[in-house]
Amino acid sequence: MLFGRKNRKPIVIPNKQVAKWKYTTCNYCSTGCSIEIGLNEHNKIVTTRGHAGADVNRGKLCIKGILEHELFESPGRGCAPLVRNQHFEEFEESSWDHVLDTTASKIKQIQAEYGRDAFAIVSSGQLLTEEFYTLGKLARGVIGTNNYDGNTTLCMASAVSGYKRSFGADGPPGCYDDFEHTHCLMAFGSNLPEQHPIIYWRLKEALEKRHFPLIVVDPRVTMLAQFADIHLPITPGTDCVLINAMLHVIIKEGLQDQSYIDAHTQGFEAVKALVGAYSPEIAQHICGIDEDTIRNVARLYANAPAAMSIWTMGINQSTHGSDGVANINNLNMLTGNIGKPGGTSLSITGQCNAMGTREWSSCSGLPGYRYLENRADRDEIAAFWGIDSDFFPKKRGLAETDIFPAIETGEIKGLWIVATNPMTSMPNTPRIRKALEKLDFLVVQDVYQDVETNQYSHVYLPASVWAEKEGTHTNTERRVNLISNVLPPYKNSKPDFWIFNQLAKRFENGQMIHFPETPEGAFEEMKYLSKGKLPHGAPRNLDISGMSYAKIAAAKGIQWPFRETDEGLKGTPRLYSDGVFATQTGKANLIPVDFYNNNEQPCDEYPFWLNSGRVVEHFHTRTRTGKIGNCNKFSPTAYMEMNPDAANALGVKHQSYVRLTSRRGDAVVMVQLTQRVPRNMVFIPFHYHDCVNRLTLGLLDPYSRQPAFKQCATRIEAIDQVEAARINAERRAF
Amino acid sequence: MSIENIEEPKITASIKKVDVDLYIPEQATSTSSKKETASNRAEENKEQQGRSNHWEVRTDEQAYAYLPKTESEIENRYGKRIDLVELTDKPVGRSMFINDNPQVGTNPDRNKQHGFFFTADNCIGCHACESACSEKNDNPAHLAFRSVGYVEGGSYPDYKRMNISMACNHCDDPVCLKGCPTRAYTKHAEYGAVLQDPETCFGCGYCTWVCPYNAPQLDPVKGLVSKCNMCVDRLEVGLKPACVSACVGNALDFGVIENTPENREQCKTAIPGFPSPEITHPNIRFQQTKTLPDELTRTDNTPVKYHKDSQGHYQPVVDQKVGKQKHWNLQKLNSRENPLVLFTLLAQAALGTFIIPFLGALAGIEVFEVFTGSNFFLPLVLLSIVLMSLGLFMSVTHLGKPFRFYRGFNNLRYSPMSREGFGLAMFSASLGVTSLLLLPSNTWVISSINQLIGVDLVNLVTGVTLRPWVLGSGGFATLAGLAGLYYMNQCYQIKARPFWNHWQTVTSFVGNSLSLGAMVCGVVLLISIGAEGAGFSDALQILGLVFVLGQMIEAVGLIGHNMMLNRSENEGGAAHYVQCTTFGKTYLLRNYLLGFNLFMGCGLLMTSQVQNVSESITVAVWLSLSLVNIVTAVIGRALFYNLVIPTTMPGAFFWKNKGFEQHARDVGLADNPTCGVAPLAH
Repeated sequence: MLFGRKNRKPIVIPNKQVAKWKYTTCNYCSTGCSIEIGLNEHNKIVTTRGHAGADVNRGKLCIKGILEHELFESPGRGCAPLVRNQHFEEFEESSWDHVLDTTASKIKQIQAEYGRDAFAIVSSGQLLTEEFYTLGKLARGVIGTNNYDGNTTLCMASAVSGYKRSFGADGPPGCYDDFEHTHCLMAFGSNLPEQHPIIYWRLKEALEKRHFPLIVVDPRVTMLAQFADIHLPITPGTDCVLINAMLHVIIKEGLQDQSYIDAHTQGFEAVKALVGAYSPEIAQHICGIDEDTIRNVARLYANAPAAMSIWTMGINQSTHGSDGVANINNLNMLTGNIGKPGGTSLSITGQCNAMGTREWSSCSGLPGYRYLENRADRDEIAAFWGIDSDFFPKKRGLAETDIFPAIETGEIKGLWIVATNPMTSMPNTPRIRKALEKLDFLVVQDVYQDVETNQYSHVYLPASVWAEKEGTHTNTERRVNLISNVLPPYKNSKPDFWIFNQLAKRFENGQMIHFPETPEGAFEEMKYLSKGKLPHGAPRNLDISGMSYAKIAAAKGIQWPFRETDEGLKGTPRLYSDGVFATQTGKANLIPVDFYNNNEQPCDEYPFWLNSGRVVEHFHTRTRTGKIGNCNKFSPTAYMEMNPDAANALGVKHQSYVRLTSRRGDAVVMVQLTQRVPRNMVFIPFHYHDCVNRLTLGLLDPYSRQPAFKQCATRIEAIDQVEAARINAERRAF
Repeated sequence: MSIENIEEPKITASIKKVDVDLYIPEQATSTSSKKETASNRAEENKEQQGRSNHWEVRTDEQAYAYLPKTESEIENRYGKRIDLVELTDKPVGRSMFINDNPQVGTNPDRNKQHGFFFTADNCIGCHACESACSEKNDNPAHLAFRSVGYVEGGSYPDYKRMNISMACNHCDDPVCLKGCPTRAYTKHAEYGAVLQDPETCFGCGYCTWVCPYNAPQLDPVKGLVSKCNMCVDRLEVGLKPACVSACVGNALDFGVIENTPENREQCKTAIPGFPSPEITHPNIRFQQTKTLPDELTRTDNTPVKYHKDSQGHYQPVVDQKVGKQKHWNLQKLNSRENPLVLFTLLAQAALGTFIIPFLGALAGIEVFEVFTGSNFFLPLVLLSIVLMSLGLFMSVTHLGKPFRFYRGFNNLRYSPMSREGFGLAMFSASLGVTSLLLLPSNTWVISSINQLIGVDLVNLVTGVTLRPWVLGSGGFATLAGLAGLYYMNQCYQIKARPFWNHWQTVTSFVGNSLSLGAMVCGVVLLISIGAEGAGFSDALQILGLVFVLGQMIEAVGLIGHNMMLNRSENEGGAAHYVQCTTFGKTYLLRNYLLGFNLFMGCGLLMTSQVQNVSESITVAVWLSLSLVNIVTAVIGRALFYNLVIPTTMPGAFFWKNKGFEQHARDVGLADNPTCGVAPLAH
């Protein structure tokens, strides 16, 4: 008998002794999962759990969310403001007053000497919406530089641009609930299980209840591609050809929803004329998908009672990113799949608050999806803020990806980087390093002092993180979620909101403009600005006037538009359900997307496609996840997926190091051999400092200025293994 | 037994009455007040109503987290009862005293065997289960109760990866429990959970050897084993374990064993990469319906892949990951198993040293009869004790918690390791007695005492014959030692380690006992003969014979092992592949040395029969052969420990990849604790 000892052993299971749970929202990706942070009797954070009552995640969290509470006291956090004269000198600890005074006077000095736009600001998708709004106010209304953008240019700019071009406004029209209603889902360059596990779970739940065809377009055999009913292993950069060929089939066979097209769109004839040239017979040789499959997929999609498309960086991060989005929109408009349950064009957003920065940061214009190019918008905001409308530029300035080249050319002399790490995240980092080195003045505002970009800063502002602050996020499905303040700022760090407010006070305009003391005060201003109608008379969709922190907390997130006249706590799950779009005419634009190939292609000298992407356990440049052991251990060092056949030909061994070279630079990685990637492609996660982005080209999309991270060429060189191990270990501190 | 009975929470007092032999924590009453605050708060939720306070149910908890209320089978597929309490004499409604909490869980199925259900078709490898487990159990990065690895196959784009999430399977036949010498394990009637108490464990790691699934985790930092606790705190309130509740691929599920979850259509006991369920009857069931490639490979450095056989089952096959080149890799022989190399060799030498002359004398061989009657027998017994003590000391240094060594005898009922230790300890003890009994008849001792303290004991001891007593205690020592040797071998007859699970282990242990024993005994014997000025030849001939016999036994074992391994495609074959490549030259060297010794030994035995060879030359050659034999034995034993490949689950590229762990330690990546590779402290 194996049971029971005479003396039963004690059963000890860790008990977190949670005294209270605090509701908040996850601060990693844009899924918008509700989290409860558990505090013990001494108000110490001891655990997190998913909020079972939240509609988005229904109690589930991914690995990052499950371990998120460990980030508050992780190594490398900024403890005090730091200052130095030259980037090669040692930092000195300083007071907030001193560093803010220094920053303000340096900005003024640079602007006085070289013009207002010589000081640039690059922010993020990581802050809270109220902070974005405040930073926008500071950048546009107080400092007055037109070279102000966010790192969303690296992730969602193409989606923004595509939505604006198609529908007249940004804002994903669909929601997660569409999975429950769709009859066909097509995923373009989106790897939900790895990038958005909780959205994947929502999809999986829907699929288990009622199976519908899943089509995945991806050059890699990701888990989603493997689980797909139809996997289209496309040639990198040719999505538009595939979609054009699908449109060709749909129109040729009369499968389009002509009544929807006639009633709600414009430009059909131009699209029809263009796609006439993209027969599947021709397209197959460009996109690598055979003609039968193209026809099969086109018919499946068009015949589905409701079909939806999702996409992520596979579309956005390419030279035809904006065109790709517009073309996905074309596909959905042609098949009548916009604004109906299960029929939508849903971009799966990257960062937790990429949506917040798109809506309210003024990066690409003015708050609330307003345009600098639009006089009425300028006047309205200037009047509300209490400044002269001529203080605003008449046209949007440089995007993040154009700001660094402008440092190269000397147009920009000073830079303020908020919560982003271009030394790791930008393509062609050798070029970024040179640009940063050249700056007269660089301010880095970040949660982590060891963020690599800080190597070149003159002033470092230690920011508070996540639940040390208070405010809102907007998720992929336009849901405004609340981040409650759970604990005080770490050491002498400060909430970004406070930093912006304090810096504003040090400028002339900052004395005139009202900066609310609390995030909720800023939220009230946003609510006010979200009301009303667009210049051409349609009501604003980005209307949050019916919301309040209390209502958001009660509903666990509310989807905009939610107008002050709306009752209850339920927002609007879908946009454009009435077929009225935000364009001048109210009709959506069908945009002909012609294909041209400007990508760097594999060649004799550089024979491999270089593809990059994310892994589930890491976020961005690992400043957070790289320090949480139970995340980091699953990929503690840089690696590369490579096809075993290609490796065999080159004599490359599994789990050995190789050196990669491109026309930009080199990188050392450990090789993981797998048939997941084709013979002429390698894949490297982008999270590691001094790794894949030393190689990438990052040609820019003409509309969105988003870099094509995923299409360039590389070659593989042998390297001494001991030397390589040393280089690899030395290249990053975490 | 009625459901109502179980659902009714019992108060502590009644439990004490009906279940007197339960573990009743000393501070159960003083801590219960604290628990009540937690439970009071929890009871504010409507979700908590009617449930015990072991775990706080979340507000608006979702259906996926609750254990379903379904009918269950009477017996599992192996014929074992699923309702376990009926197999015990324990009452139904008794507390598990989780964290000293006296409440009785409100789960109506709490006395039934539960198990995980893994839908391999669905796992996306997202690590949610692993992180939920590590978070709940406060595990550091280098330790995990649940791990996800994968097998993959096919050719782009017809490529498939199958992720496997695995923790403890709370087996019907828990080999960990049986193997553990300290009795740290209990298989509870509640949920059939196999729970381990780290505070009892002394960190020998034997459970990690015998478990086919790599469930018990030896923490090299703490020096203790810990493992999956089935989240019995969550089960008590009717919630599934944390890993299951966290799963976002809808792959991991949990419930009463043999129950197929809703929406699932298969309930099988194995998937590719999963070791044979026949070893332990694990409580895990699978669904795996999607067709996989005929060959599946592992990304970790284990040279094993899996081939589909004619029945559609996947069988392990050697994967020649590092080619066919032979290497030395002598430095890799130096490992954390060094103490065990020394322990086994020293113990075997000690056994041979004593048992060979002792049994020889009993068998009436004159040389030994004279020797055991001489003054030199006492030093030999003492030498044997020293060797054995050194060996046992080495085995203790191998423990994570050496000061708990005395717990090694706690599980004589099941554990071969307990019995091994006990046998060897008895051997030492009875040799100690033997040496005491030898004292009076030893003239050196008597005369030294006389010289030192001036007391002449000759008269006292004359006529006292202790010979039968010496025979008795020596005989007991022999029996205890042979039993120790038997169980030493049994320790390695482990189904989860096919490389060891072979009669070669016996031949190696016996052979080394003979050859090393003959050497040590020979040295003492020759000295004793030399002291008396007699001839060496008889002694040399007999001990030489024993020495050669030992080597011959070992050689036969190695040949048999080699033949078996060459045909074997499982982890044993994989270990042999490593033996022939990574350690190829070292392996050959050992075999050549052994062959050389055998050849020389036989030659020497024969030549001394037919012609007169100078005794001093013969002695010198035998001594050199003995020294060569030490080298051979050390290399052989180090290979034995280093080569073994267990039947564990496939790892991932970094996590649970021994190749990466070694690399991380070699190049310093492991110095950063977030790397998840612990530096080896022992």
